[in-house]
Amino acid sequence: MSEHKYQDSVQLEQVIVDGMDISGHWNKMFVPRALTQFDISGLEQLRDIPGAESINNCYQCAKCVGSCPVEYVGSYGPRKIYRKLQIGTNLIEDDYLWLCTTCKNCVRVCPKEVNMGEIIPAAREKAVLGGFIPDEIQEMLQSVSEYGNPMGESARKRAKWTKPIKDSIKNLAKAEEGESVDVLWFVGDFYAYHGRGNDAALAMVNVFNRLGVDFGILGEAEKTDGDSQRLVGESGLFEDLANHNDALFEKFPHKDLVVNDPHAYNAIKKFYPGITGNTRNVTHYTQFLSSRLDELKALMTKSFDKKVTFHDPCYLGRHNDEYNAPRELINSIPGATFIEMPRHKEQSYCCGGGGGGMWLDGLVANYTSERLSTNRVREAVETGAEVLLVCCPYEVSRFEDAVKAVNAEGKLEVMDIVEVINACIPEG
Amino acid sequence: MSDNPILVIGGGPAGLAAAKGIADLGRKAVLVEKEEYLGGTPIKEKYAALTPDFRDAEEAMGEMIKAVTDDGNVEVITNSTVTSVEGSAGNMKVSVQNGGSGKTIDVSSVIVSTGFDHFDPGEETQVYGYYEYDDVITLTDAEKMLKEHKFVKPSSGEAPESVCFIQCVGSRDRQIGNQWCSKVCCGIASKDAMEIKQILPDAKVFVFYIDLRAYGCWEDDLYWKAQEEYKVNYIKGIVTEITKQGDKLIVKGEDTTMGRPMEIPMDVVVLSTGMEPSEGTKEMAGVFNLPLESHGYIGTIGGPLNTVETSVPGVFVAGASTGPADLEDSVSMGGNAAMKACAFAMKN
Repeated sequence: MSEHKYQDSVQLEQVIVDGMDISGHWNKMFVPRALTQFDISGLEQLRDIPGAESINNCYQCAKCVGSCPVEYVGSYGPRKIYRKLQIGTNLIEDDYLWLCTTCKNCVRVCPKEVNMGEIIPAAREKAVLGGFIPDEIQEMLQSVSEYGNPMGESARKRAKWTKPIKDSIKNLAKAEEGESVDVLWFVGDFYAYHGRGNDAALAMVNVFNRLGVDFGILGEAEKTDGDSQRLVGESGLFEDLANHNDALFEKFPHKDLVVNDPHAYNAIKKFYPGITGNTRNVTHYTQFLSSRLDELKALMTKSFDKKVTFHDPCYLGRHNDEYNAPRELINSIPGATFIEMPRHKEQSYCCGGGGGGMWLDGLVANYTSERLSTNRVREAVETGAEVLLVCCPYEVSRFEDAVKAVNAEGKLEVMDIVEVINACIPEG
Repeated sequence: MSDNPILVIGGGPAGLAAAKGIADLGRKAVLVEKEEYLGGTPIKEKYAALTPDFRDAEEAMGEMIKAVTDDGNVEVITNSTVTSVEGSAGNMKVSVQNGGSGKTIDVSSVIVSTGFDHFDPGEETQVYGYYEYDDVITLTDAEKMLKEHKFVKPSSGEAPESVCFIQCVGSRDRQIGNQWCSKVCCGIASKDAMEIKQILPDAKVFVFYIDLRAYGCWEDDLYWKAQEEYKVNYIKGIVTEITKQGDKLIVKGEDTTMGRPMEIPMDVVVLSTGMEPSEGTKEMAGVFNLPLESHGYIGTIGGPLNTVETSVPGVFVAGASTGPADLEDSVSMGGNAAMKACAFAMKN
């Protein structure tokens, strides 16, 4: 771009002047490059929001930008947001508010403890209250509030996936209060409704059964965990969901509450107690299975002779410090060769699905050269791995799309860890 | 061993610490000060509060001064300068001039603590208009107002809505011959910015800087505190010129992290003027034949491991006469010089 006096241009999406539609490029205007004031009202407004105070503390070291997954495919990062706030941007009304995936990589490196993990949901809450909300998110929230899941699927069909195996699973949806199980399994939206999620769910059922685990699911009564709704600023809806699900947890006594979605794990472990007053013994399935590793190893007698790599989910890794459980499982897969991607464990690269990103592909595409999941899959392909292992239900569909985008079909397969474990257990 | 007193030249923080140190070690000191009062630059320039602890400058320096003037081992001679020296190590005859009259004092050793002068902003190659615009002031001008618990636009006496500091005025500039960082200005600007916000909570305060050098714990005590608690805005990018438009000053430069030119209206601009060797420091270097280091301050021997000894036997230095120094540096060097000067007197 030339260093012209009027380098920057703006165009307004929808403008009608005196009845004439001059939307888009018809109203493109150049703006002077020179800053003629530091209008910090956006900064003042944001730092006054409870939870968002730390935005004020940025001293422009840019460590966040180097770690921001969105920056890899666009121009982003808390440092840049801070500067925009000093020159007139109101983040509450700006698309920039919605690009953050809350992956927490910047929080990991920030010397001034500017906490985007808290700033972004706090700011979005303000945006939602003010009606500044992307259509995609609005639709998703509508679905959750009507059907209890973000896909807009019928709540009654939440346990439809269990049809082929309904004799080997205990559905507590219609059970009497007090019906107890050793493991209450919170299945989650993607396992329940998404085709590839169903595959993983069925694998999970078989693994539970082969381990002899006494488990039950909440079936049609379960609703989405709400973490993504919380992170897009719908704290009221999140509270309703937390209360709804926690009442079910209370209703059916259990020793362990197992979840497969790290977002659910995060919500139930860290945010439900503040709403319900109840602390649950929640474990991610990789943690649960790695605690039964000896029994599991004895069952896994079929070899899986493939090179595999693994994507750390942000909400299991950086948000909850769990890096070992999935690796213990992967290292127990007979025959598999495990290759780490360059960006792994605390440096893991976000798939783009967190913090509402799962429902923001349209808006984010306006600011990025490719999806984050595409960037990640390219990294997985470069390791030479044949299988990209995941343990977050968001990721199978995101990464399978990305595999197509980078023309790696037939070269790289995306599988949930539990699918591979199940594949190593012979029928019996 | 010489029983002659030890001469301390300059009654600022370094000289006061040296004189008191000598007295505490049981020896006689003669403290010669060119002004009619002790206390050095913090008193002369009417500092409001000391950096970094915000202590009232007059009160804090007053305690230091009293400790010296109350001590029977120290003879204080104000309104006086040292004009010449004869003899050598252990037995020097020093001429002290007080207006028209003069006297000679036999001394065993000497501590030069003649400090710094603030850079004259009129000498800057950038066009800051210090002598043209009333609302362009220096850190010391700001200190004088803050000492009176006020901060106003000098042109109108009204409270400013926007204030900015411009760092590195007279520092870090080969063209004007000052190839050094003056070390304290980032901290002092941050301190002054906080004091301004205490008086004017609604004012927008900016600091334009090249590199923010709040070294050591000043990072947290001053820089972070100013930004986090007092909402001072730090903008990386320096101002090149100031023009006037109506009753506003327009500061022009580049906002480097945005990569954009800036032409920002301000009510008051504070120039963070740096340090230079004072006239007194240059004169004493001449009188005692002390070699200067490459920047024009009094040179010491031993590099970083001996900060107070000069190449002239029996002559020691302390404080900003050796280079940019903060208060901690100055009083620490004063104590070190006192110890070394006493040891020298005992051996010679």
